[in-house]
Amino acid sequence: MSIDSVPSPSQFAPPTAGAVSYNEISRSRREAQTAAPAPAGSLMPAIEVENLRKVFYISKKDPGLAGAVKALFRPRFDEKVAVDGISLRVEPGEMVGYIGVNGAGKSTTIKMLTGVLVPTGGTVRVLGRDPHRDRVANARDVGVVFGQRSQMWWDLALVESLNLIAKIYEIPAARYRELLDEFAATLELNELLSVPIRNMSLGQKMRAELAATLIHEPKVVYLDEPTIGLDLIVKERIRDFIKEQNRTRGTTVILTTHDLGDIEELCQRVIIIDAGHIIFDGPISTIKDRFGKYREITFEVAAGAARLELPAGADVIAAEPRTLALRFDRTQTTASQVAAAVMSQVDVRDFSLAEPDLSAIVKQIYNGALQEEAAA
Amino acid sequence: MQRYLNLYGAFLGQQFKSYAEYRANFIIGASSTIMMQAANLLTVWVVMQQIPDFNGWGFSELLLIYGLITLSKSINHMFADNLWTVGRVYIRSGQFDRFLVRPIDPLFHLIADRFCYDGVGNFLVGVVLLGAALAGLDLAWTPLVPLYILLAVLSGGGIFIALNLITCVTSFWIMDSVPVTRAIFDNHLFAQYPLTIYPKAVTTLLTWLIPYGFASFYPASYLLGHDVGVYAWAGPVVAAVLLFAGYRFWQFGLRHYSGTGS
Amino acid sequence: MISYLRRQASIYGAIAASVPKRFLAFEIWFWVGLVLGAIEMMILVFFWRAVYGQTATLGGLSLDQTLTYILLAQVFAALADQDLIWEFGYNLREGLIAHMLLRPVGFQTNYYVQALASLATRMIMQLPMALLATAAFGLRWPTDLAAWGAFLVSALLGYTALFFFHWILACLTFYTTEVWGLGVLVYGLTRFFSGGLMPLAIMPVWLRTLVLAIPFAQSLAIPLNFLSGITPVAEAPATWLFQLAWVIGLGVVSQLFFRVAVRKVTVQGG
Repeated sequence: MSIDSVPSPSQFAPPTAGAVSYNEISRSRREAQTAAPAPAGSLMPAIEVENLRKVFYISKKDPGLAGAVKALFRPRFDEKVAVDGISLRVEPGEMVGYIGVNGAGKSTTIKMLTGVLVPTGGTVRVLGRDPHRDRVANARDVGVVFGQRSQMWWDLALVESLNLIAKIYEIPAARYRELLDEFAATLELNELLSVPIRNMSLGQKMRAELAATLIHEPKVVYLDEPTIGLDLIVKERIRDFIKEQNRTRGTTVILTTHDLGDIEELCQRVIIIDAGHIIFDGPISTIKDRFGKYREITFEVAAGAARLELPAGADVIAAEPRTLALRFDRTQTTASQVAAAVMSQVDVRDFSLAEPDLSAIVKQIYNGALQEEAAA
Repeated sequence: MQRYLNLYGAFLGQQFKSYAEYRANFIIGASSTIMMQAANLLTVWVVMQQIPDFNGWGFSELLLIYGLITLSKSINHMFADNLWTVGRVYIRSGQFDRFLVRPIDPLFHLIADRFCYDGVGNFLVGVVLLGAALAGLDLAWTPLVPLYILLAVLSGGGIFIALNLITCVTSFWIMDSVPVTRAIFDNHLFAQYPLTIYPKAVTTLLTWLIPYGFASFYPASYLLGHDVGVYAWAGPVVAAVLLFAGYRFWQFGLRHYSGTGS
Repeated sequence: MISYLRRQASIYGAIAASVPKRFLAFEIWFWVGLVLGAIEMMILVFFWRAVYGQTATLGGLSLDQTLTYILLAQVFAALADQDLIWEFGYNLREGLIAHMLLRPVGFQTNYYVQALASLATRMIMQLPMALLATAAFGLRWPTDLAAWGAFLVSALLGYTALFFFHWILACLTFYTTEVWGLGVLVYGLTRFFSGGLMPLAIMPVWLRTLVLAIPFAQSLAIPLNFLSGITPVAEAPATWLFQLAWVIGLGVVSQLFFRVAVRKVTVQGG
């Protein structure tokens, strides 16, 4: 294939002539379509979780062979509650960020939402279905990106992987060709179609992954760490693409990530889970307003001062020979008051005021700012 | 059902496409399996030059047994090789969850996702041995014979696949099922030779518990005119029962996996 | 001088000690390994019993002699194993060759010490097999100390020769990506040509000549012939010299091959 004659992507798609007749769609797919819940835009939520609970039983076993034999005859178990009665509701077309520290219960929740894990208690409904019991029907309407674990076949050219996926999801041939052309354009995949996944860079892999995930037009998409390891420019493209899909198709997006830049760009709503409980569920703006009360101001000083007189609500958080970092509560004092106080006592060379940063805020939330607020 | 057949064809097709690159691997893989068998066969050949018969079996008759078991083994090797590695490769890395999020049967997906070309080496060895055996024997050649052989090989293959499946389900509990599979699989080596040379315990093991005997010994005995009664035709039944049991066990294991998330 | 030797000893001692740890990391495989070994042993024993069904001797050997040889071959099977091809391949793949070349330890000596430690560890792990062979299959251990002596010297010489031979083959991994294939190929050849499946005496002359012309039989068949009493101890010194010639020859060639291969890696990059 020469450079100047890159064929259109649909030339790679399997040549099936003519329109897809009703009979060609297998019975199971037809049933899924007719039994499908109301389309996006209706009153039914895309995801509805009621009091969801997941308890793991970890076997306690003494080390060594004696321990293993003992465990066989008298097993002892430790109970670990990974998810402790969470409830939430996601409307069709929403883009929700789902964050929490490692071990908080994030991935357990996602596994229950995708039907991979069975809850210990409570209910999960995705598009009106129980994702575990109606696994196949759910699978048709759902797409999952598992971070770095690609869903494509390692040695196959991208387009071959996509063709196989089209077969698995029974995408009608004509529709598949349209979608292939569209994704190839928007994700700039034209040159990559003949490249096997193992030869792709991380950014290319992720673009390919998104195409593979969305090509069967799922109504709900779970994205787990979609931009991990990517450089800024590629991150931007990915984020734009996801935004666009949500805008034009109304795809509901659940985003789990440690990259708060993703969250800020894409999500209007954030759910924070900690130790199995949801500790926050609301718009990002609320977070910033409610928790963004602390600001940081850093001074470059000629020499440190022994004791500083500071206005109420301001604290020193770091004092080094040449730098002085302060934190102040916006509701109690202002940046100018703090700066004036410091500059009157210390020889200040330079200073900078930090913007309320979502990651810092989230850090505070993890560290119990919610409790503080409740106490205040 | 029709859909799954089409889908399997698609899976296979895609894999062959990527194999063009791995021609060298294919040749080496196939040669390695051939080499392993050659060592055994060379031993048998050298020995048979020097003795009148082997427990009443002639050289071509031994080849018949060896050929049948190798063919049955190769079916499992070619088509169901992914079962071996489900724990190490798929469950450990979390890739198994991908199967649960696709709208097709996870077991089908697992099996269809890999065609092992090493198995072709075993298949070729089996065909050659079978050919050599039939050439050296003086069988009454009726249309029943090739059909019977086909049935024997397919049921044998089914038994191998079923035992492979049953043992691989343990990976839902212990992650790496390969030791368990090996412990069961290696018992087929007994069936490379006539079961009559072993003590009763072994014959019972290979007929009733780990029924590899139906992949080689009983069909061969029948073809050679020995009286094995109903065992001559039990192969397909045994295979069907085992496959059914294997699938139920798989479903049981899958339920456990979904309950504990591994 | 003394302190130098002591240092060397402690370094190599540590290297040797690390090997058993790697083996013991696989607990369930230990038990399964026993099962697999038992199956293989059983098949061999009943195979040869069936072969001798109507014959008294084969190649001049009685059933007892053959079974002794075969069972000893199972117990001492580790003599035919070498991990070099896999290790080189692994190190290459992980880009560790340069790493190893930088260590202040003789490169080949390092691997040789590991190989010896490997051998010792494997032998110890075969003790259950030895027990099984004795208890279940009636293996009669040779009581002649001279035979043991001949065996041990011959085994050490043969194992060293095999080590050098595998070293040469392992150097090929520098030139091909088919490490796995090479390893399996060699493993397949080893199975027959080490002499573990059949006593050399039973082979037709042409086959026996072939087997003795390549190094695989050096470490297993030849030493075992002494231990099982097939070859009289009187012939030991001559055999040792023959084996020594192999050791020296292969040793020199292995050094050459290695030098060429390293040049390829350091010049063209691993």
